Amino acid sequence: MSFTLKYKNLNEEREIPNDDYTIKDLLTEMELSPQTVVSKQNGELVIEDTIIEDGDEIQLVQIIYGG
Amino acid sequence: MQCSKCGNPKVIYKREQSGQLLCKDCFIESIEKKAIKTIKKEKLLDKGDKVLVALSGGKDSVTTLEILDSFRQRNIIDLCAVTVDEGIANYRQDGVDIATRHAERLGIEHKVVSLKEDYGITLDEIMQRENHKGSCTYCGVFRRTIINKAAREMGATKIATGHNLDDEVQGIMMNYLEGNTDNLTKLGAKTESKAKEFTVKIKPLREIPEREIGLYVVAKELEVHFDSCPYAMQSFRGEVSEVINQLSEKHPTIKYSTLRGYDKIKNILKKEMKKEYAHGRCARCGEPSSNELCKACSFLEELGL
Repeated sequence: MSFTLKYKNLNEEREIPNDDYTIKDLLTEMELSPQTVVSKQNGELVIEDTIIEDGDEIQLVQIIYGG
Repeated sequence: MQCSKCGNPKVIYKREQSGQLLCKDCFIESIEKKAIKTIKKEKLLDKGDKVLVALSGGKDSVTTLEILDSFRQRNIIDLCAVTVDEGIANYRQDGVDIATRHAERLGIEHKVVSLKEDYGITLDEIMQRENHKGSCTYCGVFRRTIINKAAREMGATKIATGHNLDDEVQGIMMNYLEGNTDNLTKLGAKTESKAKEFTVKIKPLREIPEREIGLYVVAKELEVHFDSCPYAMQSFRGEVSEVINQLSEKHPTIKYSTLRGYDKIKNILKKEMKKEYAHGRCARCGEPSSNELCKACSFLEELGL
């Protein structure tokens, strides 16, 4: 069970660690604030409560930068 | 889970303050409606206005342009844009290119003004000088002067900036914490100066949170420059912003209530605290100034230019 993560220059395959693993869990793991990024699941915008499924492509777009 | 407005199951946003869920189309519509509501409530536009958008190519200014263009399409206003090239290597050019493409797409008059051409120096060069006052000090003053001049040259009756809810609340709190009552009187949706050379400034996005503007440009697939200025550092604004964002996590309405509270006392503040400036002229450039030299020219003198 894995998904592809795209974030900035990152493009990697990641294991889904547990059932009901959400984008919010992924952001916490990556130490990213949900306030500064928006998330896409297979090319479509989704909210952070979305559960990541096997084979998903998850893209994170940083929309807020400091300064 | 479905959109609170139309029932579409493809939800892209949850408003923490109200629990409202929105699909892409309803979210985009909500942002545009909110900006239009601010424009109407604060009387930011008059029929026949020529509005100059201060267009950096970032999310806030591109959204401002996009929303004001709906008024241009209905022949209510005319639109033009100015982009300031501060001369920051590996950063500014992308924004300038994106701004230029948006102006071309909409077919509006657009001007790119560089610090190098206007003042003979780039921000990068200023930052190499010893005893400089910090990048944001020069950038803010030069940019403001350039935008004001551009407004006069292009015949604009209003200048629109992309200040969002987060920017406004930071401004209110920063000035309050610093006890800067003079600057506190200058905030708000519409800033008018007694000097006729200073064009009226408007902020159509001031009630929209920064994050919602970021999501709006992604949802609308608008090309924007998402990047961090290399000179962005741990400023006081940054610290204040961090505290407000931390508070917002448990109190999601706090930015709105800060803005509402300020708006309630704004007129009293202006009446009681606004300084009466002697509207003189800068001896060097002729721009309005309360001192012999305006801020921009005094910096130029210090830099030996």
